[in-house]
Amino acid sequence: MDVVEKANLDRQKRWIKDSKAGEGTYAVVYRGHEAATGKRVAIKKIKVGQFKDGLDMSAIREVKYLRELKHQNVIELLDVFSSKMNLNLVLEFLDSDLEMIIKDRSLVFLPADIKSWMAMTFRGLEFCHRNHILHRDLKPNNLLIASDGQLKIADFGLARDFADPGFKMTNQVITRWYRPPELLFGSRYYSSAVDIWSVGCIFAELMLRTPYLPGESDMDQLKVTFRALGTPTEEEWPGYMKLPDYVTVGQFPKPSLRDLFTAASADALNLLNKCLTYEPRRRISAREALYHSYFFGLPYPTHPSKLPKCAKQVAASRPLEDLNGNVEKDATGPGVHAKNNRLKRKLSSPVDEPKGRSIARRLDFTK
Amino acid sequence: MTQSLNKHCRSKHAQSSMAPRSTVSGWLQGKTIRKAGATANTRSSTPNQVQSTSATIFAGGVKDASGRTSEYFSMDDQCPVCKSDRYLNPKLRLLVSSCYHKMCESCIDRLFTLGPAPCPICSKVLRKLAFSPQTFEDLGVEKEVAIRRRIAKEFNKRREDFLDLLSYNDYLEEVEDITFNLINEIDVAQTEARIVAHRAENAALIEMNLQREEAYAHALKEHEETEKREREFRALELRREEEEEREEREKGKREIIDKLETSDKDANKLVAKTRANALKRSAARFASASHLQSSAQLLRSRAAQSTVIPDIPHVPLQDDYYAYEDKFRTKESGYEDVFSEAVRQDREGIMRGGGYMVEEAWGRALMCAVAALEVPPLVGLEPILSSEQTTAVHAPA
Repeated sequence: MDVVEKANLDRQKRWIKDSKAGEGTYAVVYRGHEAATGKRVAIKKIKVGQFKDGLDMSAIREVKYLRELKHQNVIELLDVFSSKMNLNLVLEFLDSDLEMIIKDRSLVFLPADIKSWMAMTFRGLEFCHRNHILHRDLKPNNLLIASDGQLKIADFGLARDFADPGFKMTNQVITRWYRPPELLFGSRYYSSAVDIWSVGCIFAELMLRTPYLPGESDMDQLKVTFRALGTPTEEEWPGYMKLPDYVTVGQFPKPSLRDLFTAASADALNLLNKCLTYEPRRRISAREALYHSYFFGLPYPTHPSKLPKCAKQVAASRPLEDLNGNVEKDATGPGVHAKNNRLKRKLSSPVDEPKGRSIARRLDFTK
Repeated sequence: MTQSLNKHCRSKHAQSSMAPRSTVSGWLQGKTIRKAGATANTRSSTPNQVQSTSATIFAGGVKDASGRTSEYFSMDDQCPVCKSDRYLNPKLRLLVSSCYHKMCESCIDRLFTLGPAPCPICSKVLRKLAFSPQTFEDLGVEKEVAIRRRIAKEFNKRREDFLDLLSYNDYLEEVEDITFNLINEIDVAQTEARIVAHRAENAALIEMNLQREEAYAHALKEHEETEKREREFRALELRREEEEEREEREKGKREIIDKLETSDKDANKLVAKTRANALKRSAARFASASHLQSSAQLLRSRAAQSTVIPDIPHVPLQDDYYAYEDKFRTKESGYEDVFSEAVRQDREGIMRGGGYMVEEAWGRALMCAVAALEVPPLVGLEPILSSEQTTAVHAPA
């Protein structure tokens, strides 16, 4: 046995798999614990064998970026090891996500709760952007909640680093309801502002308790967006008519956000408006957002430990058909998604990112 | 002698009885009338409740729980100075001076508008502001309450602050002693000195207990509010449920009639079947109602929790990443590099709308280039084997 194999075996021994928690197309998620301390973890076993061209892209991305990121509001990748033909990612165990909490009708959200969640989201996102990483799949489903109430950004399966000038990025990212209009218009050159749009949609969803811009197709998504926020003018968003997939959707007047968000404070609406600005360059950045007056005003953000939580029983008593439907992409997200959402939020099309970024170390699975 | 005995007895339950019951009972007999139309029981302003919350401290008069001051008022009030009475002046209002002498508002105006003047009864120099409304019929009680309130503010130690019961009892005894001296004006100067000495010795503790009391009052208020919200919520749900049930019953009846009309089956069977269905439905409703209750409990537990950990003001970033000053910055005018030329020119205009920021790329490139330059070289490099592995190697030997 050579040194690498031995090190791998040592690592493997540190973690113990308990029970299966969910299965996706390219990974199985298990509950587990650390042998020495009993700390609960989630182990994501990525199936390697069935792919002709090696590992699935999103697994590579996930390892690549999560290995580097360590922050209170970003999911922690504790370890990576291989077993037989599989790659195993050991992740922090997180039992619920923001979507479950939004859907749980028995919970009441106070304005301070929303503020606290938003602050944690922006903090995590600021950390990613500070390290030049775009998340590109923010949605309530991917914001996991730890048992102490901390919110953690998870699922870096679509993440990438900021592109060098002139390099194309795919526009087929971000779950449709949270996708900014520049991606819907097919822009291949975009910036960290795409994540901010998603956070804006999440912010609205937290206030409404229902998805804010639920489009049924990419075309419909544009229509829904413009109906909610008004069709942009050339002045509001210079140059958008020159984007590759530009189509005219129709003229909609700009309605007042106040009409829909009747209970929101003026500060909250101001921040929402800045997150949902059409012109990506004018959209607020994560760091600016953290210094927005919304967060400093009263009421103070709720302490994470006091945020509303999903009752465990609720998760356990979920109908079976939801579990069976759990073969979609988002089941492979890190952490344990024991259930799937009824509305089937999934990517509308496969990812076609050009492969070319180097992988630090070749993994040998031929043992 | 009897006085001191009486005093001693009281100090044994000093915490609960802040005013002598015997005098209170006369006041409770019902001559007091509340101003401002408050209808609550006058008992709510008994002195020992006044003691319990910090909100009740007021310059004069005693506030009840709702924050109103109740004022003593009777038909045979008479101003001792000008002798006008309620018969002559129905709006007569008697106020009490700091030397505990009553007089009517017009006398106060007359005597004290031009500045401090001697009291017409005891000739102590008074100011206009020193007058406060009267709460108790007996001015002795009025005085005792004021003194006890003042003493309680300073002497607010609790049982927890003492090692044993004996020393706590001694402390209560001392407090009672001081109070008694002040009420009966025995050795006033010496007693005041004792108070000052106590204050100097226990300043921190007094402040802490004051804060504790405030926190307690705050928690109590919050708790009450949550309960109220919860009650309202439950009442609303209940009403809705009743409405639903009524509709259901009517629907059931209509269903039976319809079925009896159209179907040719046995009437008794049909009725029984529909009944069973209705029963099932009501059971389901009951189940959902129990879920509702649990959510109410959840709310309550949240409220209880909320008093334990306070919410803190927003801290934008919780690390010190931006505390370090970068020794570099990107040029305002941008860079004329070959790689970004296409983006800067953007002939087809496909990059402008997408929001690609070449500044982000420049910033990244610069940071990657210089980020580690300031990190001092690693001194005293560890051996390549980590400590775990070394022990593993040594273990078998």
